[in-house]
Amino acid sequence: MSITYKPGKKPHPNEHRLIFKNVDRRGWNPSIKRYLKEDGYKTLKKALEMDPKDVINEVKTSGLRGRGGAGFPTGIKWGFIPPNNTKPVYLICNCDESEPGTFKDRYIVHQDPHQLIEGMVISAHAVGAHTAYIYIREEFPEAAITLEKAIQEAKDNNFLGENILGSGFDLEIYIHRGAAAYICGEETGLIESLEGKRPYPRIKPPYFPAAIGLYMAPTIVNNVESLCHVVHIMRMGGEEYVKLGTPRNSGTRILCVSGDVKEPGYFEVEVGKVTFRELLYDMCGGPKDGREFKAVIPGGSSSKILRCNESFKIGRGDDAKDMDFWDIPLDFDTLAAAGSMAGSGGVIVMDDSRRMSWVLNNITHFYAHESCGQCTPCREGSTWMKKVSDRIEDGTATPTDVDTLEQIAYQIDGKTVCAFGEASAWPVEAMIDKFRDELVGETSEDNNFKSKERIEQERFLSSV
Amino acid sequence: MSSNTEVPEVPADRSAEDATQSAPPTDGTNTPLPRPSDSAAVEDPPPALSVLEENIHSAKTPGEKFFPSFAVTEGLEEKANERIAQYPDDQKRSAVLPLLHEVQHRFGYISPESIDWVAGKLDIEPIKVVEVVTFYPGFRQKAPGKLHIRVCRTLSCAMGGSYELMDKLCEIAQIDRSASDPHKDPIAISPCGNYSVEFAECLASCGTAPVCLVNDDFHEGVTCDKAEELLNSYQNA
Repeated sequence: MSITYKPGKKPHPNEHRLIFKNVDRRGWNPSIKRYLKEDGYKTLKKALEMDPKDVINEVKTSGLRGRGGAGFPTGIKWGFIPPNNTKPVYLICNCDESEPGTFKDRYIVHQDPHQLIEGMVISAHAVGAHTAYIYIREEFPEAAITLEKAIQEAKDNNFLGENILGSGFDLEIYIHRGAAAYICGEETGLIESLEGKRPYPRIKPPYFPAAIGLYMAPTIVNNVESLCHVVHIMRMGGEEYVKLGTPRNSGTRILCVSGDVKEPGYFEVEVGKVTFRELLYDMCGGPKDGREFKAVIPGGSSSKILRCNESFKIGRGDDAKDMDFWDIPLDFDTLAAAGSMAGSGGVIVMDDSRRMSWVLNNITHFYAHESCGQCTPCREGSTWMKKVSDRIEDGTATPTDVDTLEQIAYQIDGKTVCAFGEASAWPVEAMIDKFRDELVGETSEDNNFKSKERIEQERFLSSV
Repeated sequence: MSSNTEVPEVPADRSAEDATQSAPPTDGTNTPLPRPSDSAAVEDPPPALSVLEENIHSAKTPGEKFFPSFAVTEGLEEKANERIAQYPDDQKRSAVLPLLHEVQHRFGYISPESIDWVAGKLDIEPIKVVEVVTFYPGFRQKAPGKLHIRVCRTLSCAMGGSYELMDKLCEIAQIDRSASDPHKDPIAISPCGNYSVEFAECLASCGTAPVCLVNDDFHEGVTCDKAEELLNSYQNA
């Protein structure tokens, strides 16, 4: 049973597959034998012969931006390791994929583990790490086994271990399983978790992982997809790679579409070459029969929701132009200009059958459950937002509750140690901004919500 | 939380009302919380759990019969040493999660004894293990059913019908979820102990919603009409 592979499923013509080249391929399997047949680990050999600095420069040239959510340039991140460092350097692969709407890393680790390992060895060589960890979420038990097997195979072939391919470079990769906590996807939270503690994120500055990370040593944390891209950058060369996609948004990226479309799924496209219209109508088959698209969350549930009938002003000054929602290309910069973000590439689509209060309620429940509880605004605020959205959803809220909810969100935003504060507040802020009328429409002046404390107070006073 | 039935002082006709009626004094506003050292001297069963005890307490469940009780086996010891070796010598604490996974995989849940064992194995105070166990939703402190089903409840799956799936599963397995709380006690177990259910947050397969994990097996596109088929497929397990 378990996961259904679709061997032989043809990629959509709009796709440009690098990372997902082997996903759903007929006759493909995750063994090293199969991977070696396709020139696997050849790029590694080439990279090991290069100076680490040149590898970093190549990645800088490629303009690769992190695919985990923040979109920070990978090569620049690597360059942050202090030059006078004397401590061991660690590389961590973030495979905690837990942003709702995202399901790309799942296919890489299940179907093509050697691509990830090759990417990790090249990256470790570049940053000078001799120990690397793959932090994999607990909900991928099968992938943890697949990866452990792949690591053993790579070791047997001297792609891992001591003196890799005679280059004198040593590297060990270990699997570290998480335990179902969303916050472990945040890099400093992940590091705390790897140290065996509660994953309370660390404050930046001073705890920038590249300077003070795992065991207080320089640590590079990269997403699975980013590390896989490194293989292709080294194979093609940074100059060639940067030609893919659009300026400042180079390469390919995997978009995961879920929700109310005819054919949800994953699509690897050149960044910025596909618009919402092409993605949702051509590639995903359009809305379900008799329905119309209403709203889209473009980059995982933390990104701000966009209305399908909106238009945006993109660009600054004289270059500014009006852009219809459907014409927006899915790249980092345009989505940011439209007030949302490309995030982790998880596109969640809602059609006109969805009540926004219900969607909002589902999201607030998620964040209330996953707040780690370190910072008061987030811990208390996320639960409070959940309670207010519960009322809106079941129709017992007053119109002022919508304003209360908005106020709470703006009091979390920017006032926490990590980005979880924004992640929990943005969806609420955007939802109220875009669908205020609908939300207010579900409330009533007649409702008179009383908190437990209020009821208790009144009971006490009435008995006097 | 069920009370400890092993206490010798309890008369044979242990009625719940008696127990609660003797409790009120402790509920009073001015009475301090009973301290562990006091509870031995004062003979009023059932002893209330201190905060620490409550945090490591494993409630009795019908699923217990399917799991062996905690014992340090050779296999466990060997696997634990293998995991500890993954981390630098002075950073043994890092192996807390892997060790707890080993324990939970073998014994179904994290019992107080296993917390002690993990702490001893890593030379850290037990509280440092407890704080980890109580934080992560992936660790459970009471035995689940023989088949533990985690249904994704996050947006895409909810749109795909995961709440309906959960209701259907509960109906088939006769599980009452009304007392579950997503934070404190997310797991609900069927009276026979064969099944337990829990709502999980995003299982990262939104494109094939609704999805669920049955023990370690992943299942995609499990709409509520497939619930029966899903449970039947484990009939011989």
